[in-house]
Amino acid sequence: MANLTLSNLVKRFDDVVAVDHINLDVADGEFVTLLGPSGCGKTTTLRTIAGFYYPDEGEVLFGNTIMNNVPPNKRDTAMCFQSYALFPHMTVWDNISFGLKMRKVPVVEQKAKIERVMEMLSLKDLGNRKPGQLSGGQQQRVALARSIVTEPQVLLFDEPLSNLDAKLRVQVRVEIREMQKRLGITAIYVTHDQDEALAISDRIVIMSQGKIEQIGDPYTIYRHPKTRFVAGFIGMANIFDGVVLEKEGAVCTVQAPFGKVYIDTEGQEVPNKGDTIHFSWRPEDMKIRDRTSRNQISGNVVQAVFMGDITDLFIEVNGCRMRAQSDDEAKITAKDHLSFGISEKAFSILRG
Amino acid sequence: MKKKDSLTPFTLLMLLPGVGFIIFFIGSSIVLTILQSFGLFSIMGNSTLTLGYWKAILNSREALDSLLFSLKMGVLSSLGTVMVAFPLALFFRKSGQGKGMLGSLIKIPLFIPALVAAFLILNLISYHGLINTILMRLSIIKEPLRMLNDKFGWGVVMIQVWKNLPFVLLILMSAISSIRDDTIDAAKNLGAGYFSILFRIYIPLAMPGILVAMILMFIKAFGDFPITSVAGPVYPSSVAGRMQIMANLYQEWNQAAVLGVIIILTTFFVIWAYSRFAELVQGDN
Repeated sequence: MANLTLSNLVKRFDDVVAVDHINLDVADGEFVTLLGPSGCGKTTTLRTIAGFYYPDEGEVLFGNTIMNNVPPNKRDTAMCFQSYALFPHMTVWDNISFGLKMRKVPVVEQKAKIERVMEMLSLKDLGNRKPGQLSGGQQQRVALARSIVTEPQVLLFDEPLSNLDAKLRVQVRVEIREMQKRLGITAIYVTHDQDEALAISDRIVIMSQGKIEQIGDPYTIYRHPKTRFVAGFIGMANIFDGVVLEKEGAVCTVQAPFGKVYIDTEGQEVPNKGDTIHFSWRPEDMKIRDRTSRNQISGNVVQAVFMGDITDLFIEVNGCRMRAQSDDEAKITAKDHLSFGISEKAFSILRG
Repeated sequence: MKKKDSLTPFTLLMLLPGVGFIIFFIGSSIVLTILQSFGLFSIMGNSTLTLGYWKAILNSREALDSLLFSLKMGVLSSLGTVMVAFPLALFFRKSGQGKGMLGSLIKIPLFIPALVAAFLILNLISYHGLINTILMRLSIIKEPLRMLNDKFGWGVVMIQVWKNLPFVLLILMSAISSIRDDTIDAAKNLGAGYFSILFRIYIPLAMPGILVAMILMFIKAFGDFPITSVAGPVYPSSVAGRMQIMANLYQEWNQAAVLGVIIILTTFFVIWAYSRFAELVQGDN
């Protein structure tokens, strides 16, 4: 096991900068997720860690060892591919034993390790099957078994759950997390699914256009996005611009297009009076008929989408569209007039 | 429910130009050859059912030597071509500089008739040909090597490999291109070096393509006439060459038919062996 460091990492493909001066420290045994939209550089970063790409600038370090020019077969990483990449001509057993054979592990030891991993991932009776005879979930588990059986320093996941159906995805992600914790292997996980990232990670790295937008634990990333991109990418957010009219300690009075709001900036970058700022809040922070907060907003429901546990609401307030959520049992329909209270602490001040 | 397609007289009529052509010309000539080998439908007139022609061929030293020679040429040519073409197919899998031009160059033999190819290579490998001249000039050899009309048949193998390289390459390239990049990356990631990837991933996964290429190459080289005639040894000739001698020189059309049946049977046997082997290689996959 080892800690992993990316220092000023740059990877270019002709004129395109896929990874642009990335710095990241991953602690030993930590589970870090690279999250971002397609083309943000997350998979390129992962493949550079695996050694499939060599960095153009910067360094990849496992512990204190620079790995830049070490070929992938000498890196002691194990990767779970989006396509699983199982060897179709080999049985499940041979697939799992492949890495051990390459490392010339004695046969008796191989057998013990494979049996343990197969037991752990409920693959015990599938040893003689070929990948083509397995379901998607089983193939995924074989891919997982194949990567962990070699006890690598770093475990890499490239959107491993994207081919599974929604229910199975939730189940397998729990399995992955439990297994990673049990083995204590450092893991880097790439996904574009924010729910998956929030559920599985110790820390999330949000990437956009080859750069890191924000690094933080799932709670911080969700509750306190630092940039407009992060606020918009993770979950739903209402994002507006406003001018700071007053400052009273950490609380700013901001004139937004839909009205005046009071924002508690404690723990965030504090703007100056007269600054134009970007700020956001989550739809679930809009509490229906809540009179306890100074931030009172009322508007007409433009659209109400019943989702089962909640109702997604699109509200029009002084010509501005915003999103809210209601877990009220009362049925809300379009054209209803509602008032909301938003806590002063619910707002995030955004950069960019 | 959708109506199942059935063979109506109209569909049969539509199929007739293609299937009818194959059945009539191939089927009838195969049947005729077989019958002629037993003395029936004889071109020379007298038709009597006999095993005499088979006995004559099976007891003939020349025919047996021809058969062994053709088998040897078939095996060596198919192995040689696949061994040369496989690394090339691996190279063409990845895009690289000069790939386009090299790809076009390699396809040239595809458009050159076998006989012309034989004469082209002849200039290179003949006793006073280009290769011998260069080797002599470089003092690597003292006297010219006998590569053309050599006793073993290396000249034939060389020409077969050259002539059929593009054809085999096309088959192998399609087999190799079906191997996913992810599969290769996974092997690398699990610690496999170049040779492990070659022998444990590329070759097994491309095996159906390799087998098809080898079978087709074998059949081509086994039944060859022009290349062996030009570049083969003085003795023995290929089975096809022997057929020509029997028919044209000795007017033994029925014995020639026996040799023809031997070529057909060998081809069928090889195809049968291929399908058995392919099942073994691929298993349930």
